Amino acid sequence: MPSMSTSAKGLSGMSDFFIEEIIRLLGYQFFQYALLGGALVALTCAVVGLLIVLRKESMIGDSVAHTAFGGIAIGILLGVEPILTALVFAVFSVLLIAYMRTRGLAHSDAAMAVMLAAGFSLGLIVVSAAGGFTVDLFSYLFGSILTIDTTELVITAILAIFSLAIMGIFYKELLSITFDEQAARLNGIPVTALSIAFNVLVAVTIVISIKVVGIILVAALLVLPGLSALQLDQSFRKTLLASIFLALLTTTLGIFISALFDVAASGIIVFTAVGVFLLAVAYGRLGR
Amino acid sequence: MSEQEKIIEIRNLTVTRSNSKVIESANLTVEKADYVGICGPNGGGKTTLLLSMLGVLPRQEGNISLFGQDIDEFRDWNRIAFVSQNAINFDLHFPMTVREMVGLGKVSGRNLGRRLKQEDWDKVDQSMEFMGITPLADRRIGQLSGGEKQRMFVAKALVRNPELVLLDEPLSGVDAETTEQFYKLLSNLNLKNDTTIIVVSHDLTAVFCRMNKVICVNRHVHSATITPDLDAEGLLKKAYGEHFHFAFHEHECKGAFRNV
Repeated sequence: MPSMSTSAKGLSGMSDFFIEEIIRLLGYQFFQYALLGGALVALTCAVVGLLIVLRKESMIGDSVAHTAFGGIAIGILLGVEPILTALVFAVFSVLLIAYMRTRGLAHSDAAMAVMLAAGFSLGLIVVSAAGGFTVDLFSYLFGSILTIDTTELVITAILAIFSLAIMGIFYKELLSITFDEQAARLNGIPVTALSIAFNVLVAVTIVISIKVVGIILVAALLVLPGLSALQLDQSFRKTLLASIFLALLTTTLGIFISALFDVAASGIIVFTAVGVFLLAVAYGRLGR
Repeated sequence: MSEQEKIIEIRNLTVTRSNSKVIESANLTVEKADYVGICGPNGGGKTTLLLSMLGVLPRQEGNISLFGQDIDEFRDWNRIAFVSQNAINFDLHFPMTVREMVGLGKVSGRNLGRRLKQEDWDKVDQSMEFMGITPLADRRIGQLSGGEKQRMFVAKALVRNPELVLLDEPLSGVDAETTEQFYKLLSNLNLKNDTTIIVVSHDLTAVFCRMNKVICVNRHVHSATITPDLDAEGLLKKAYGEHFHFAFHEHECKGAFRNV
């Protein structure tokens, strides 16, 4: 059967080509940076994001990332590292959202909408006053993990490790607060202080995610791994591990596909994460 | 008989919610190893009274002391466990097993940031065993029945060996047999460990059969020690109104009456 053997040869040739390409990519420093940065961000998103989903605040990623746009625009204008100015805006934004909610000034969703509008509109004013959009600014809107430089990687690594350490230490307290805030308070857990700390970590996670998937898709990276893991109906420990695994899988896969086929990494990462979510839903409904 | 340690002492308490007095000039004392039932009509202030004992609600007037200490200065919340009326109304998809949930009872202000040790998990297993939910340990919390959820939350409350347990209507919507088993478990806890228990309950037979003190609340608070010759109906009329009838006979308790 000559046709089959030809197609088998073709397939094997293709897989050889991809293996060679992957090995070649792994040799490049930019690709190593992208993988390392992507993995750290994915890990942080998986851990922080699961609690965000359980707190029913999934849209906070979208809101705070848009607010951070104001900070990025100012950073670029002033020549300061944009991640740092974005971080200031993001922290301010999450704390103000929490303040509006706890003081009864607005429900979560309305408070998020206000902060999104405030930050993004400020960003637009700064950008237009500075003479329009630059390539740099576009990379923050749509993400550009393959162009992450040493400074950005170092800042991302420090922030990610800091967030993961705090989450690791206080995860059971944060879980207790997420499940029942009043009960946690009566158990002597410092609910207000830990909630503020968690909000700061949410801001940090959102800011480091901007480089990977861009402002517009941050919410997806934050929410999809945890949401997919929840479909599996497991214990908390297994759900958390599944969230981490799925976040690492989709981000790494997305970075490889992006580099191999020269398509936008952010699009591929999030699209893969959506695909994984649909598979998890199907498994949750039919698989058991 | 030596004087028992006072666990809760309330003097002249008035609590206002939405500009109306919910509790007015209440006085009561709960002593160590008391098993207390709080009853009264809906909206009469039972939950308000319970939450006041935890210092959760602002009070307009009066003093509350816990374990002999003024409530404003009391910090030893580890000695107290509370199961809220709304505890069982959680998100059914919350990803936790029964054992993980009971384990959260070990998480408190005292061990902030510390990992749970093997001895903590041993205590979790003992607490589940005591409440008869060991076979449910690996089940997801959303899959439990109403009675099982309540037993899980009480197991979570007991895991820290509290000296005082407060339960707000733990058994609404649960069948009679489960109710009976539940109150029996609380009796065991009370008798074996001298744990002071306060339960808001609509089940008057359970209150008069199993408990040693009753507090009737309908804005005003009336409390009494339960003895075979207590005029239960007379006491309950003060809270439920003159038309209320409650005939209490010891033989209905089927031997559960604690003074029998």
